[in-house]
Parts: sequence; C-alpha cells; structure tokens
Amino acid sequence: MQFSFPCKRKRCFHKNVNYTPFPSCENGERHQGRFTGLSVEIIDPVQAKSLYDSGCFGKGSKSRGGPASGDEDETLLLGLEESCFLAYYLNTLEITNLAGSSMDFQVFLEAAKKLNERFVENLACYLYLKSKNWVIKSGIKFGGDFLIYKQSPRLYHASFLVIVQTSCDTDYYQSKNLKGVQRVAETSDKDVLLLTVHRPKDVLSPKVLQETTVTETIVRRFNYLTFVQSKQQ
Amino acid sequence: MDTKTLDSEIVEIHPKNGYLSAKELIAHRHSEFEPQSGGLKRTQNEGTAPELEELRRAQEQLRAQLSVPRIERLGGRALAIWNDEQKVAEVLRKDGKFENFGYSEQGRLYLEYYEAMFLLELGRLQLEYYGSVVSIEQAYVLLLGKLESEKYTNYLVYSALSRAGYIVVRHIPPEKTPEEVTSADCIWALLKETVGNEPVPDHIKTSPFYAVVEKRMEDIKELITSQKTEDSKITKESIDLEFDSRKRKANEKPIEEPPSKKEKLSIAGRSLVDQLKNEMSYSKLEEIFEKFDIIQLKSVDDTKEDTTELSSLKITFDLHLHNEGFKKSSPKPPTFNVIILPSQTSFPPHDEIAKIQNHHTAPLLVISVSESKQIQAFLYYIS
Repeated sequence: MQFSFPCKRKRCFHKNVNYTPFPSCENGERHQGRFTGLSVEIIDPVQAKSLYDSGCFGKGSKSRGGPASGDEDETLLLGLEESCFLAYYLNTLEITNLAGSSMDFQVFLEAAKKLNERFVENLACYLYLKSKNWVIKSGIKFGGDFLIYKQSPRLYHASFLVIVQTSCDTDYYQSKNLKGVQRVAETSDKDVLLLTVHRPKDVLSPKVLQETTVTETIVRRFNYLTFVQSKQQ
Repeated sequence: MDTKTLDSEIVEIHPKNGYLSAKELIAHRHSEFEPQSGGLKRTQNEGTAPELEELRRAQEQLRAQLSVPRIERLGGRALAIWNDEQKVAEVLRKDGKFENFGYSEQGRLYLEYYEAMFLLELGRLQLEYYGSVVSIEQAYVLLLGKLESEKYTNYLVYSALSRAGYIVVRHIPPEKTPEEVTSADCIWALLKETVGNEPVPDHIKTSPFYAVVEKRMEDIKELITSQKTEDSKITKESIDLEFDSRKRKANEKPIEEPPSKKEKLSIAGRSLVDQLKNEMSYSKLEEIFEKFDIIQLKSVDDTKEDTTELSSLKITFDLHLHNEGFKKSSPKPPTFNVIILPSQTSFPPHDEIAKIQNHHTAPLLVISVSESKQIQAFLYYIS
C-alpha cells in the first residue's frame, strides 16, 4: 500500500503564483519584532507585508490570515516557533522585549518555555518540516500543533495536521484522542501526522538541536469494506 | 422429545409450541426486525427514572428481536460435535463450500472457536454437545467463554471481516525460506557443479526449473561437442535459440536482479513528507534550506538494536482475498496482517510498528474494537 499525500487546491483563483518561501532582508536590515509575552508583533506594515507575502509567516491581528483589514493599527503576530526560526535560524528578524532590549536565543527560549513547556519539541518539528519546504501554521483550530500547507494557505488546503509527541508522552496514541483528531482532520481531507521527538536534555544554542531526531507516524482510517469490494471487480 | 434425568426416570417433554403451518414458515423465513432509533448518543448513565424506563424498553425490544423464531432447513448444515476435554469442535459432516474453514489434525477436521460460532450464526452448522443440539445462546458461553475475553473480540473481528468478504485465517508467521529459485539460480548451480565440482544444493534440485535447465545445458553441450554444420543452420532459424540467447544475456548480469521482496516492500527509514522537495521553490533555494536542515529523521539503525526482541503486539489473523486463489494447504503471502486492539488500549507507537514490520511483509491492519463493539480498521504509515 503506497502512501500518497493529500493535497487539494483551493477553488478561488489567486494571481499570486510567484511563491517565495523566505523573506529577504534588503540592505542587511532585519525585521523588527517585539515580544509581547504571547507572541512576536511586527508593527511596521511594510515589514509585516514582506513577512506574510514571502513564506506566509504570521497572522494579521485583525484578520483571519495575513493582514488584510486595511486598518492602520493592524499588526502582524508571529507565533513562537516561527519567530524563533526567523530570528535565530534565518537571521531576518530581531526580537526585542517590551523594554526595547534585544533578546538572544537563550532569553527567548526561556520566555517561550514558560508559555509552552513543549516549546523545544515544537521548534524541532517546526524546523524539520520547514526544511522540507512546508508552510507551517498553527493547528489549534483542528486540535493539533501545526497545520502544514503546500506553498500557501491561500492556494492549497492543509495536507497534514501535525501532532507533536515526546518519547515519554504518547497521549495521542490513546484510542479516543487519536480517533478524535482523525475524524476532525478527515472531514477536511487531511492526514494526521504524529511526530515523536527524541531530544537531548539541554538546549543552549540554536545548533544543539542537531542531536534531536524525529519519527513520523501516519495512522489513517481504513475502509476495509470498500477495499475488498474494489478488489472483487 | 425424551431426556434422562439424573434418576434415570423417563420424563416426557412436550414442546410448548405446535408446528408451524406452511404459510407461517414462509412468513418467518425472512422476518425483518427494524431496530428503534434512539436519538442522540449519550455517554454517561444518569440513573434518572425516564432513563431507566428507556433502558427497559430497549432491552425488551432486544429480547423481542432475539426471540423471533428462526426458520432453517435441517438438511444443508454441517455437523460438528463439541469435545469438552480438548475444548474443540470436531466436524463430522461437511456441507457446501467448506474449504476455507477448519484445520486438520491427525486426519480429523476441527473448527476454530470463531469459525464454529460464525457458521452457527449463519445457520450453516449444527453443533452437538453430548448428543443434544447447542443453541446459539449456549454456544456463546461454550465457545467464547462466560466472561468477556479476548475470544469475544476476536470473534467480532472475524465475523465482521468474513462478512465483508475477506478470507480470515489464523496468523501464520512467515517462514524464513530463501527467495524463490529462478532458472538463473539453477544455471549457476549447474555451472558451479561442472566447473567447480560443487554439489547442487537440495532446494535448487527440487525447483521445477532444474530439470529443464539441466536438459538444455546437455543439449547445448551436445551441440558444441558434435559441431555439426547443418545443425547450426536449423537452430539459427528456430525461435528456441532466440529465447536462449536472451536468457543467457540476462544471466550474464545477475547483479541487476531486483532486490529481495522484503526490501522492495519496506519503506522504513524514509520520510513521508518529502514531496515538496521536488518543487521549484526548493531547488532554487536549496542552500538556504540546507542551512537549517538540522533535525533528522531517526534512522532505522538507531532502533536496530532492539529490533531483535519481539514486539509485544500480536498478529491474530491473516487476511486473504477471495479472487486470488487462496488455498488452505499452501497459503500465499496474505494481503494484510491483522492486529486487534481491544477497547481502551492505546494505539501502538512508531517503534512497536517498526519492530513488527521487520518480521512481516504484509501491510499491517490495526483493528480497534470500541466499547460499543464497533469495529474500525486503521492503516499505519511510518518513516
């Protein structure tokens, strides 16, 4: 049984075909983000547009997707994992705290861990999927950790609902949990991708994540009745 | 109907019901019973009076449904007796297509408990226990045990899959037989024998190709040693030689043989979400992507140490398809291996599945039986 991944194009037509996965820094100038205690906020509308248009990072504070309300005070909110990726792996973002001083990897990591104790695992999975050219958005509306898209959420429906697990916590292998997310994901043509992270204890620099490994598991509901009927013809 | 009591007195038992008329028989042959729809599902018992009343009504309905008289022909059923010592059902008389059921031991045909139960429920088997016919209700206790057990879930799965149209058999662990012997193997063995004086291994000698290849080599040897000019003329036109040369060509490159079946089937160690690496946007910016490509897939080698120990998962059944010529005596590799997951059990994680896939080649079908006895199958894809 070969595995084929679900990938459904959205019906509405967008002219934006030139898809670029990463924002570029012109003249070596980095984007300026402010860590608000929940997310990283990009205030400058030009920078916000640049981040959303190339790589679909963040979410407009007054819109469902990218900043689209047209209000002047709309900002772009970056999630913890994506801001960490942009700042310390791509080097296109500078994160400052509310007082205005720059945050380095360690400081940001501590702050992020306070918000989400599984931040390191999530970051590892974010990097893993990002390096495979996926556009990654929050999966909270489907009850998972991430949703991953081909090219852009504007062009394609999400292909997978990603759930991050550690090797000791396998909550989502519990029957009712797995069946639950599967049903939710299936109604919108997604697969559930369980990523189990095996990681070293301490993370001190962006590079230390190198020792981290993941395993992928996709569990799909299988209709044994239609399968046998299709084989009988 | 006569029975003996413990005191050996003869007691006459009169059946409560009379005999059914022909009309009644036909009416009862396919009696339909519509289950009542119960509204929304609820998950917890509240213990309120209307709820108790509803439960009572539901139970009554179930009883009424179950006590509808079933009409069956007495003939056209197989006959088996229950052996209480060995706890097996021995088939005395077969009926109809029976080739996918039972197993033979010392010339006798026995039914597995789930097979006997299934045939009983279909009305194709009469099971007798010390001379009296076993009812379906009694058979549940007799075959599946009084308490809810593994046997019961196994039977549920067996019954559902059989009704769906699979041939369900007890799981047979794949034998570690060498790859199928091809004619190329025979040629090499023969060459080694004549040139290197190595004896031909037994498993090659028994291959159906062996005699053919041996004969052909003899013929060619004959041809070369006799060197008759007219012969070559005939053989040049003959199709046989064409075949011959092509086969010889193929044999010259034994390295190009496809890898073993197991290697072809296993996809372990490969990511399932690599598809977007073929995109234009990836190839253009490959350098940047590689910069942060630091999290790797856990490789198979890492887990290899513990792959030797057996997984705690147990494969219960093998599934075969009807149109693939299944034979009980010489089963082909199954279409699926079935693992049964009782309710409340967690799904097996990646490593467990990887371990069990190492030993089996057929795709795994994990079938979960929920608390409400519903059956759902799952397929695993792992890196």
